[in-house]
Amino acid sequence: MPDIVVAEALTKTFGTLRAVDEVSFTVRRGEIFGFLGPNGAGKTTTINLLTTLMKPTSGRGMVAGFDVQREPQKVRERIGVLFQDLTLDRELTGWENLWIHGLIYGVPRGILKNRIRELLAFVELEDWAGSQVKKYSGGMQRRLQIAAALLHRPEILFLDEPTLGLDPQTRAHIWDYILSLQRNEKVTVFLTTHYMDEAERLCHRTAIIDHGRIIALGSPEELKRALGSEVVYVQLASKSLQETGRMAESLKACGEFSRVHVVRPGEISVSASRAPEAIPKIFEKAEDLTVKIREVTYHMPTLEDVFLHLTGRKLRDEEVSGMEAVRIRHRWR
Amino acid sequence: MVNPASAAYVMWYRQVKRFIRTRSRLVGAILQPIFWMIFLGLGFTSALKGAPVFGGIDYLTFFTPGVVVMAVFFTAFFSGISVIWDREFGFLKEILVAPASRTATIAGRILGDVTISMLQGVIVLTIAFLMVPNLRLLGVPLVLVAVFFTALQFTGLGIALASKLKSFEGFQLVNMLIAMPIFFLSGAFYPVNALPAPASIIAYLNPLVYGVDLSRTALTGAGFLPLTSAFAALAASSLFLLVVAVWGFKKATAE
Ligand SMILES: Nc1ncnc2c1ncn2[C@@H]1O[C@H](COP(=O)(O)OP(=O)(O)OP(=O)(O)O)[C@@H](O)[C@H]1O
Ligand SMILES: [Mg+2]
Repeated sequence: MPDIVVAEALTKTFGTLRAVDEVSFTVRRGEIFGFLGPNGAGKTTTINLLTTLMKPTSGRGMVAGFDVQREPQKVRERIGVLFQDLTLDRELTGWENLWIHGLIYGVPRGILKNRIRELLAFVELEDWAGSQVKKYSGGMQRRLQIAAALLHRPEILFLDEPTLGLDPQTRAHIWDYILSLQRNEKVTVFLTTHYMDEAERLCHRTAIIDHGRIIALGSPEELKRALGSEVVYVQLASKSLQETGRMAESLKACGEFSRVHVVRPGEISVSASRAPEAIPKIFEKAEDLTVKIREVTYHMPTLEDVFLHLTGRKLRDEEVSGMEAVRIRHRWR
Repeated sequence: MVNPASAAYVMWYRQVKRFIRTRSRLVGAILQPIFWMIFLGLGFTSALKGAPVFGGIDYLTFFTPGVVVMAVFFTAFFSGISVIWDREFGFLKEILVAPASRTATIAGRILGDVTISMLQGVIVLTIAFLMVPNLRLLGVPLVLVAVFFTALQFTGLGIALASKLKSFEGFQLVNMLIAMPIFFLSGAFYPVNALPAPASIIAYLNPLVYGVDLSRTALTGAGFLPLTSAFAALAASSLFLLVVAVWGFKKATAE
């Protein structure tokens, strides 16, 4: 069966910024495909290109067999989009929003009422159908938006950060929706996220994107396997950058570890095939250098580790989260 | 395939629903023209001790037809330009990725804005007849024609400008540089044909002048343009602004 999304060297520049930089990938029919990347990586821009909202600077995008630039109308007839930002009319009620959406997305009027009722039940908003959207909570607005995206039974659903800014319970709820859609309705899902747990739990395949470029692509398992089987996390007693650097150099030099990264001053991440054997070696090295270790932990690699090892940065830095909270509030206002 | 009539209908429905839903807009629609008529119209009339002014009628009677058309102008222009708000609050994206034809959705939206602007016009006209004794009832159909074209062209102008403006920063500028001159040079307050050369030329380029003059002729007989030329100018500028609006909206992207 042909791939439902094909991107070939897709590029979008804003002035001198290459927001999406020669991105190539394919999405198979029926799978959940994830775009994982930090803020500003180019995830939303990629969705805008594939959903005909923006024209690519160069490269080609095909969705459901149609070129996004040459036959945008054909593409629009086959997709559903959940935008990162709120796109509902806040002055209108939930019901009115879905009614409008249904008619501009071509749902026949005869079946629209039933369809709306079904979907309101699906996202558990029946009791709120008659209230203005501005009275909804963030999670309720997100669910209504999901209902709108599903209303016209698209072949492929683009979900831009479907759980951004939601509490853990609502996030889990939305994950269930997405999984049941893919299983029961055979909808292909393309989603973006900067939550690695979301990518791990939901996606059959994930592309990791940073600075507009895809830096890794595969199933979460494949991506993690490439790292080695375990990740050892070393915290030094001192936060001296110099000391951390010396320690990292000596770990690299001993040749036992496939990857060694300074996460931040005082913290080093090391990938190893067997942690219980690696840890004593790490202590030995520290002793040689008279570096004091505060704590050593190890875990199975996560996509977070994959990102760290590919870019030398963390996907979501704790320092960023304060700023991010502000951004989320701004978007949901 | 999306039925263009359904898409147009539902955009009309949205504009009308929003207008009815927002109580402050309805209340404003009724109070604002009453204030104009009392504070400006009656104010000048009593300051002039009811003496006849332009065209041999008292100031309130002269001013009132202009109030009707100005109210329609403001409602239409700001409804049209609210496409900026739809861009800012995201609703526009929903329309831009919809498979419905853009011509159908924008046509529906324009019709919705025209409907609420005309509703506004009818409300003000009713108030005018209750407050001002000397208006001609027979002129009403012609006033409705003026109101319709005024609504159409300023919705068009609003949408055309909104398709160019990327955020509401430009909005203040549009208000100052476009809405205010159109408003003050509309001929509602004083006859613009008597203005000195540069101002009167600008006035003739102002599409609002023709709507005001047409309804003044209809309600009082004191307009300065022949009916046919006022009508022709209205129809021509409406057509032009509509084409610009639809063209601008069809080319809109999310950038
Ligand atoms: N319309 C635009 N004009 C100029 N620059 C833009 C525009 N849209 C996006 N950018 C820039 O392109 C880059 C990629 O943005 P994009 O929104 O695609 O990132 P993202 O991966 O979705 O990030 P986030 O997690 O914050 O949503 C950013 O540096 C952003 O500032
Ligand atoms: Mg984004």
